Amino acid sequence: MTDGMTHPGLARRITAVWYRHYRVYTKSLLSNGIPPFLEPLIFLAGIGLGMGKYVTRMESLPYIVFLATGLPITAAMFTAAFECSFGTFIRLEFDHVYDGMLAAPITVNDLLAGEILWAGSKGIFFSLAVISVEALFGIVPMPLTLLSGFVGFLTGVMFASISLFITSLVSSINQFNFYFTGFLSPMFFFSGVVFPLANLPPVLRPVAEIFPLTHSVRLARALDLGNGTGQMAIDLLFILAFTAVAGFFAFRRLKRRLIQ
Amino acid sequence: MQGSDDPVIIVSNVSKTYGQIVAVDRLSFSVARSSCVGLLGPNGAGKTTMMKMIYAKCLRDAGPDSLISVFGRDPARDELDIKYLSGVVPQEDNLDEELNVWQNLWVYGKLYGMNRAAAAARIAELLDFMELGEKRRVKIKELSGGMKRRLIIARALLGGPKLLILDEPTTGLDPQVRHLIWEKLRQLKKEGLTILLTTHYMEEAFQICDSVLIMHKGVKVMEGSPRELVRTRIERFVLELREHGASLAALPGDGSVRVDAARGAARYYANQNGVLQGLAAQMGADQYYIRETNLEDLFLQATGSSLDD
Repeated sequence: MTDGMTHPGLARRITAVWYRHYRVYTKSLLSNGIPPFLEPLIFLAGIGLGMGKYVTRMESLPYIVFLATGLPITAAMFTAAFECSFGTFIRLEFDHVYDGMLAAPITVNDLLAGEILWAGSKGIFFSLAVISVEALFGIVPMPLTLLSGFVGFLTGVMFASISLFITSLVSSINQFNFYFTGFLSPMFFFSGVVFPLANLPPVLRPVAEIFPLTHSVRLARALDLGNGTGQMAIDLLFILAFTAVAGFFAFRRLKRRLIQ
Repeated sequence: MQGSDDPVIIVSNVSKTYGQIVAVDRLSFSVARSSCVGLLGPNGAGKTTMMKMIYAKCLRDAGPDSLISVFGRDPARDELDIKYLSGVVPQEDNLDEELNVWQNLWVYGKLYGMNRAAAAARIAELLDFMELGEKRRVKIKELSGGMKRRLIIARALLGGPKLLILDEPTTGLDPQVRHLIWEKLRQLKKEGLTILLTTHYMEEAFQICDSVLIMHKGVKVMEGSPRELVRTRIERFVLELREHGASLAALPGDGSVRVDAARGAARYYANQNGVLQGLAAQMGADQYYIRETNLEDLFLQATGSSLDD
């Protein structure tokens, strides 16, 4: 009897899940690797060339810089949200990928932690892709803006947790439309990415403060511009707390779905 | 710590309910080391649920005398140990379509914590064993159903399991592949592997199972070696009659013939071939067939010949 054999430790189990996603993602390098660079190019050209003519400064910054410090973070948000909503749902319900993986020596918690870690990694990659395009045009201060890659990771992890929770609620893949148009799109517009929160009507400002993206963007912008204050600690704490709460409920509900 | 003579799996008084539905009802059985046990039963009998409880994909109902022990461990507590020592072949194909044959195994090598050299060597060995060596770089979409199944079995064997759990391993496959898979399973068993499988195919149970457990509506209705069960639990011969209409014969009054008429066909069971011959002549039937009974007859007797779902 080989009772001496032991299963892999926690870190190896989680990175094994991460590795599976990494291999699948990098398998289609062209179609997965180019859009993250293309999108900011189009966005900056469209908004920068068009809007930039009319709006020159915002919060004492050139408008293009204001926008450019927020975009890496929204890129991280959207990629993590897609990965852990549509992506997770397909792995869960259509491809039965999790059924196979859970037969290997990993737990549901390991599996979900791996999902989140992978979404965080995509957050880094997508935000750095945006930053590299911006740096190419000399829009953002370098190398400080590279710090946004770290915020991209945190944002990816947070939106992975939120999206996993949403995934635990839906019964059909079409229901994600509510999540994207009802939650993520408003967040994009009202989290201080395209205009400062100070321009919001006073009654709406507290709402924007609840939006998790608000805190990611504020933290990233402070790091990029090197003008951080005590607010950074509050933003970081908010991100961590929001991640923990969303993650807690996501794990609890998905565990019930994966272990009958 | 487990002794080498202890059963690999012990299931005792295990139940599983989903709301009002009782999927598995106080089931008990055990699986000896290096043996192959088959769970037989119609769809919805609770076979898959029982399998899933063994590798912690499904949690059994709590109960004071309910017990599952796999290598001396409880899946509710030590799922990682059990999964590390077991390989699972699920019912649906769940290969990674994006990856090729070799990569499908490679990513699982990580899940089993294998280092690169060990994983590469083991993958090469298993692809040869499953006769997929030439398909290494092939996309999953280009594989036939039989190749996919063999690849999933190879994946289940990757971590060098001591126990192999297969849920309907040959459903939907052609006879050549089925015989190949049976041959491989027999070979693995000879090398010491313990096997638990579910199947609808009585032929499969006869070919590879040392012992079968016939389940019906979550309950065990029969258990034993397939040959022994057919020898002791059912009449030796059966007369099958199609399109019997109204011409059913009067049965001998001594109870030597048992009749089972369902859905247009009638089956007469008896221990003497001659009794059935006489019956056929008496009815003037020309569309009849007398043969020895097999596990399928026993299965239909045990689980009823009408559809449950």
